[in-house]
Amino acid sequence: MAIINHEAELTRAGAYVTGGWSTIVFFTRRYPLGAVGALIVLGFILTAVFASVMAPIDPTATNARASLAKPGGTYLLGADFMGRDMYSRIVHGARISLAVGVGAMSLGCILGVSIGLMSGYLGGWFDLAMQRLMDIMQSLPLLVMAIVMAASLGPSLRNTIIAIAIPLVPSVARVVRSSTLSLREQPFVEAARAVGMGELRIAVRHVLPNTLAPLIVLATAQLGSAILTEASLSFLGLGIPEPHPSWGRMLSESAAEYVRSAPWLVIFPGLAISLTVFGTNLLGDALRDILDPRERT
Amino acid sequence: MRTCLALVAGSLAAAVFVASPAFAQKQGGTLRISHRDNPPSASIHEEATISVNQPFMAIFNNLVFFDPKEKVNSPDKIVPELAESWTWNPEKTKLTFKLRSDVKWHDGKPFSAKDVKCTWDALIGKGDEKLDIIRKNPRKVWYSNLKEVTVGSDTEVTFELGRPQPSFLSMLAAGYSPVYSCHVSGRDMRSKPIGTGPFKIVDFKRNEAIKLVRNPDYWKKGRPYLDVIDWKIVPNRSTRMLGFAAGEFDMTFDSDVTFPLLKDIQAQKPDAVCEARPSNVNTNLLVNRDAPPFDNPELRRALALSLDRKAFNDILFQGHALTSASLLPPPAGVWGMSKEMLETMPGYAADREKPLAEAKAIMTKLGYSKDKPLKLKVATRNIAIYRDPAVILIDQLKQIYIEAELEPIDTTVWYTKIQRKDYSVGLNLTGLGLDDADTNFYENFHSTSDRNYTAYKNPEVDRLIDQQSAEADLEKRKKLVWEIEKKLIEDGARPVINSNVANTCWDPKVKGVILQHNSIYNGWRFEDVWLDK
Amino acid sequence: MGAYLTRRFLLMLLTLFGMSVLIFVMLRLVPGNIADILVDAAGIADPKEKAKIINELGLDRPILEQYGQWVGGLVRGDLGFAYVSERPALEEIAPRIPISAKLAGMALFFSVVIGVPFGVISAVRQNTALDYFLRVISLSGLSLPSFWLALLVLMASVHWFGTIPIYSNEPRSFLQEVGLLSIPAAVVGFRSSALVMRLTRSSMLEVLRQDYIRTARSKGASQTSVNYDHALRNALLPVVTIIGIEAAFLVGGLIVTETVFNIPGVARFLVEAILWRDYPIVQNLVMLIAFVVVMVNFLVDMAYMALDPRIKYAD
Repeated sequence: MAIINHEAELTRAGAYVTGGWSTIVFFTRRYPLGAVGALIVLGFILTAVFASVMAPIDPTATNARASLAKPGGTYLLGADFMGRDMYSRIVHGARISLAVGVGAMSLGCILGVSIGLMSGYLGGWFDLAMQRLMDIMQSLPLLVMAIVMAASLGPSLRNTIIAIAIPLVPSVARVVRSSTLSLREQPFVEAARAVGMGELRIAVRHVLPNTLAPLIVLATAQLGSAILTEASLSFLGLGIPEPHPSWGRMLSESAAEYVRSAPWLVIFPGLAISLTVFGTNLLGDALRDILDPRERT
Repeated sequence: MRTCLALVAGSLAAAVFVASPAFAQKQGGTLRISHRDNPPSASIHEEATISVNQPFMAIFNNLVFFDPKEKVNSPDKIVPELAESWTWNPEKTKLTFKLRSDVKWHDGKPFSAKDVKCTWDALIGKGDEKLDIIRKNPRKVWYSNLKEVTVGSDTEVTFELGRPQPSFLSMLAAGYSPVYSCHVSGRDMRSKPIGTGPFKIVDFKRNEAIKLVRNPDYWKKGRPYLDVIDWKIVPNRSTRMLGFAAGEFDMTFDSDVTFPLLKDIQAQKPDAVCEARPSNVNTNLLVNRDAPPFDNPELRRALALSLDRKAFNDILFQGHALTSASLLPPPAGVWGMSKEMLETMPGYAADREKPLAEAKAIMTKLGYSKDKPLKLKVATRNIAIYRDPAVILIDQLKQIYIEAELEPIDTTVWYTKIQRKDYSVGLNLTGLGLDDADTNFYENFHSTSDRNYTAYKNPEVDRLIDQQSAEADLEKRKKLVWEIEKKLIEDGARPVINSNVANTCWDPKVKGVILQHNSIYNGWRFEDVWLDK
Repeated sequence: MGAYLTRRFLLMLLTLFGMSVLIFVMLRLVPGNIADILVDAAGIADPKEKAKIINELGLDRPILEQYGQWVGGLVRGDLGFAYVSERPALEEIAPRIPISAKLAGMALFFSVVIGVPFGVISAVRQNTALDYFLRVISLSGLSLPSFWLALLVLMASVHWFGTIPIYSNEPRSFLQEVGLLSIPAAVVGFRSSALVMRLTRSSMLEVLRQDYIRTARSKGASQTSVNYDHALRNALLPVVTIIGIEAAFLVGGLIVTETVFNIPGVARFLVEAILWRDYPIVQNLVMLIAFVVVMVNFLVDMAYMALDPRIKYAD
């Protein structure tokens, strides 16, 4: 793996043109799709943070008279059969998705980075054992692994995050390990060692920052796939339990039963998931273009 | 000439009745029905779910049966099936059946009185260990009064009871009481059962399909009409509904069509015949009376008073559910209190203001307020039909300063958790296999029952339960039953929210379906069902 | 080369062995077992009956013994008895494999047929409106949850055709079966095709930048012939890898698609078996899936080696 000169890459990508507003303009010009993605992700995060402000109606409040209310009027996006406001549920659902997405991604990255860094840096039996463990974990598809994990942990927000995070670990560990391996022998690491720096400090201060670029690319992609996996798990009844307004849960069971008389119950949560994941994917692509020159064209 | 008797339950406004004109029943054809989930096994005696009864009842016969042509199961509407006749001894403790002699099991072996003995011996724990006809027995309590089964001859069998119990015959007439044989093991009964009924099982492909074919040697001549019953297991309800609307299925699973869905079905398939009826399943609260805070009867009372039954009904059933105590009210049910009587019970009044004010006053007295609410968790099984009412309950509890959070319990550990009393309020569904006072009280409220989940214990209620059970006069017995119901309500034993009502739909070409209005678990022999095409 | 193969093979065995331990342990951590579920399904919790079932199924024996019994059986080709149906697990699993295999095969076919050409076009017309359009479409393919897409397809189907493509009744002919499976396969395939297209595009772009393409161009080969003959052939090599990745990717898509379209394949069966805590089914199905994934990866590596003589494998 090549060593990336971030300074140069970022300059080329326009990060240092003049800073501030013009950076954004430059980025938008050069990566229009990435800019759209960034906008979507920003919107998603803002929605999650300001959910209570954006949707003051309690997402769990039931109301017989509003059962299956059509979109428009009081119920902007309609209501489900218990008369719960869909707009409110979708807005609050962003919180769940963000919590699961970011939670699983961070947990996966922390574990993956530690394993990868240690593996690449220590080598030897530890590396060998970890490599085999990663092999084993990767011999099952992500969703299958997540399903088994989710079933063994039981349904809750915390357990769902763990169930999704663990299957994400191997790919992170692999990427970090391979960059660590090549970095370990680099002159600047040798130099650090020569001045008597401790191995741990070298690993954290010098090696880790240089693995960040591929990690960021991977993490963005994983954010999207964590959100999708959560939706699939909840759809199968293994993810976030009621009354949390999880987008995947909204699509399962009752909502899907009213496809004909209340299609909005199916359309809006699905759109929310798709749009969010689409945004992270667009952003991820742009980040990869910027940070990973091998992929650049 | 068969005309449809219009003994319509007034509350069942949505029920659709089709007068059947005098055309001859046609032989043949395949009836395709959707099934909602994988039945845990095919052994009716071992299970307690409609998922087993509806597909597998057609394989079996009972000794006696609730008249399948009647919509309401009642003790005076029992007809013979494998028994030709029955007699009680003068003390009403011995019930002797004279059996048919022309009946064969699906494997060709003849049916005899010994098979009846084998079945009920197993149910009272005297069964042959090696044969192992059943390995679990959810209705043990039904037969706690059955002392012995004796075989008189090949065609005569006698049930000896410990004390008179008029309901015993009703229990034998339930869909849950098929006759098993002596020569088929429990394992086979669970996977490929052998019966004497109108249909034989061909295949039970787990999570996929159940296929039954006509029994050509059925003892009832000229029955059944259908050649094949094809059950397709479709766990996803929306797929089931779409399948029915698209003509993939001739009939929906029992009570599968909720009221909000009914509109949908009628829009997509305007010729569908849909009938609404109570499922004899009631939504109720389990209250842990042994642990704080609900060891305080005042608080239990406040909880019971706070229930807005109408709101539950309006949201979940569009107003079609029946207000009830633990037994189904007339005219659909035989035993429950009438609407007028119910309205005098605490918390049942139509006017919500007074009970709510009283509940609030109790809460205030106990030191709770809007700013200092009582915090608790409402435990429920993690399935939509449990979760949905729980969500409404939580919403309602806010009014009486209770800030509740839903605790969805994985369905595999639900009963274990309840038995450990590891909850404070639980939302539960209780289904009655049979509309009968004995089965209900002994199963759910008698202090000795396995299924008395709240461990409710009231010696006086126990005494009254025994007293009504032995009472021969139906009217006198009903009075005792109502007295028990009233006590259960006052004690908050298991506050009932309401009795559920749901729709079952079929294609107009399916004829001869008669849904039983006080038990979804009965009436699924399919021997009179035929296809007009 | 021979030594490499042996090493790879041993590693595969090691991976599968590790998987068997992992799944065995994880299943035993799941709260509730089959006895709980069976007793619970009947609405009673009689500890005596529960203990009897546990004993009958051998769940009370030491965990190592249970593991040994399972793996020992597995080696002999005996998968044990399913807890719920009480039939040999093999009889339960085997008939479901062809259905899922056909579905996966068709999905793969769709994804390649759609993904490769569009990937090439996208690369050749890089940074044109067409490229942007195709990239957005392919990204959206990766972003739509497949169960949602499946629900939308069902909705549309009922709306416009009045019927639904759910798998029902044993199909009478091969053609009918293909017809029934094609819509779910397209749903799964759409998602995978997005992946194929992205990878085709990027490997194609890489090849297009290579020196020999420039040489071919400078020698006067026509633009089209350069694009399609030289570049595509070389770009296809990495595409083979995708099939390896896809093998794992597809199973995930199958689980939800089989659920929505009610296809009685292995993927849906797995979820069902987990919910029932039917260990013999879950364990063996997981091993089957792991075996397929590991095997496909192995074959892909072999194919790589055969196709690209430049790749040398050190021992």
